[in-house]
Amino acid sequence: MTTLNFRAQVPVFDANVGVGHRRDRVSPFETRDQLLEEMNRHGVDRALIYHLQGEALSALEGNESLSTWVEGQSALQPQWVADPTPESLAQLQQLHRAKQLTSVRLHNTEECRLPFVDWIYGELLEWLAAEHIPLWLSLVDTPAVEVRDTLRRLPDLVTVLLGAHYAHYAVVGPLLRQLPNAHLELSRYEGLEKLQPLIDEFGIERLVYGSFYPRYAMGPILFLIHHLGLDPSALAILCAGNLERIVGDRKTP
Amino acid sequence: MIAGTMVIDFHGHVGKQNCMGLIDDPNEMLRAMDAVGIDKSCVFNVFHPDGRTGNDLTARFVEAHPDRFIGFAYVSPLMPDTMAPELERAFDSLGMRAIKIYPPYTPFPLDHPIWDPIYDFAHRRGLPIISHTGIEPTAAPRFLSQVAPRFPGASFVAGHSGNVEPPRSQAIQAARSYPNVYLETCSTFRSPGVVEELVQKAGAERVLFGSDTPLMDPRSQIGKILTADIGDQAKRQILGENACRLLGI
Repeated sequence: MTTLNFRAQVPVFDANVGVGHRRDRVSPFETRDQLLEEMNRHGVDRALIYHLQGEALSALEGNESLSTWVEGQSALQPQWVADPTPESLAQLQQLHRAKQLTSVRLHNTEECRLPFVDWIYGELLEWLAAEHIPLWLSLVDTPAVEVRDTLRRLPDLVTVLLGAHYAHYAVVGPLLRQLPNAHLELSRYEGLEKLQPLIDEFGIERLVYGSFYPRYAMGPILFLIHHLGLDPSALAILCAGNLERIVGDRKTP
Repeated sequence: MIAGTMVIDFHGHVGKQNCMGLIDDPNEMLRAMDAVGIDKSCVFNVFHPDGRTGNDLTARFVEAHPDRFIGFAYVSPLMPDTMAPELERAFDSLGMRAIKIYPPYTPFPLDHPIWDPIYDFAHRRGLPIISHTGIEPTAAPRFLSQVAPRFPGASFVAGHSGNVEPPRSQAIQAARSYPNVYLETCSTFRSPGVVEELVQKAGAERVLFGSDTPLMDPRSQIGKILTADIGDQAKRQILGENACRLLGI
């Protein structure tokens, strides 16, 4: 029965949370404690966080700023941003040697007006695939045709596709068919009855809960997922288990 | 019902736009409504400028589930001569309860005189009009501040509450300035804090829950209201009490 208030009923690990202010968009929260308070309000236990400045402007500086958000705080797991420059790759390799790299997020290709093509991103992508590091990339910012053409060359690279929207409805199924190691993050995928066909065809293992906070409110998609009629174990897999598997983390039983 | 409150979704579509996943399957729409306690959904068809074609489809859709769907009439100034007679037919013969307009499908801003016959019809009959509002030049909510005082017998509902800034602030300003302007919540832009802002600045009695079903799942859109940091009484008003008042339910 639906009530006037909602909190998640299973452990939740949010796959898509940005921190910090962008140069053109002020975040609704300033501090780590404020973010944790919002997570707690919705029953979100953990979040994979990246720095918004890193995604939009400078991967190097954003990643440096991210450290202060995650130190000594197990509820927030860092996700480092990558761009195609040698400096960015060197930073990621250093983080990897320090065993801090569990996932990487592609910078906003649109902001840099760069096509997502093999001859620009190939070195980065081949390194990620060789090191078994999963890559997050946004369908909001990167054209689906470039995502498909570039990732088809790297069948071992595990990816999470972010921000698919109703405008991507006709694209999502073919993309998941073309890219067997791709997962779909659900923050904007809210077409009526559009999730069940994906679960039926690809299995719930290919779907990941993320909020896209603070670009989007944290609660609504979590509420939707809780009202799909999934059994508790499937709900737990969708809300946390799949992400834990992808980033090699087994904290939730 | 949610916690004893009748829940009315003020924004839904009849028709098909397959590439976007907009498919008006009543069974799917009802299943989603039932999953979260939505009692009734208001629906309209904006895809036919003659009005008649879409209104007939809407009427047929509602007729199959009259206790769950409420039909709104659609007319367009692309065919201005059809507007008044089609509205009369839609209300007097088809049983429509409100009017939907969609300025982005026209070159006419909301305050252009070509829309006046629609506003006048609603004014004379005391009807709500829901208009798409957003960043599109013809759909800026600031135009509501021009037309709402001219037609006080009509209620103007800003669909999507302007969607994003700066139109959202224009919609809020119109609601603050005129008692016959309301703000509807559905939007693909689920920015944090928006529902809270609408309530704080315009008052919960002026905010209506809408989902855009079946383009969007009403479960995520009602989740915006239920996960907002506002009081329970405000949620009750938004979920259904305000819509019941506007529609005379």
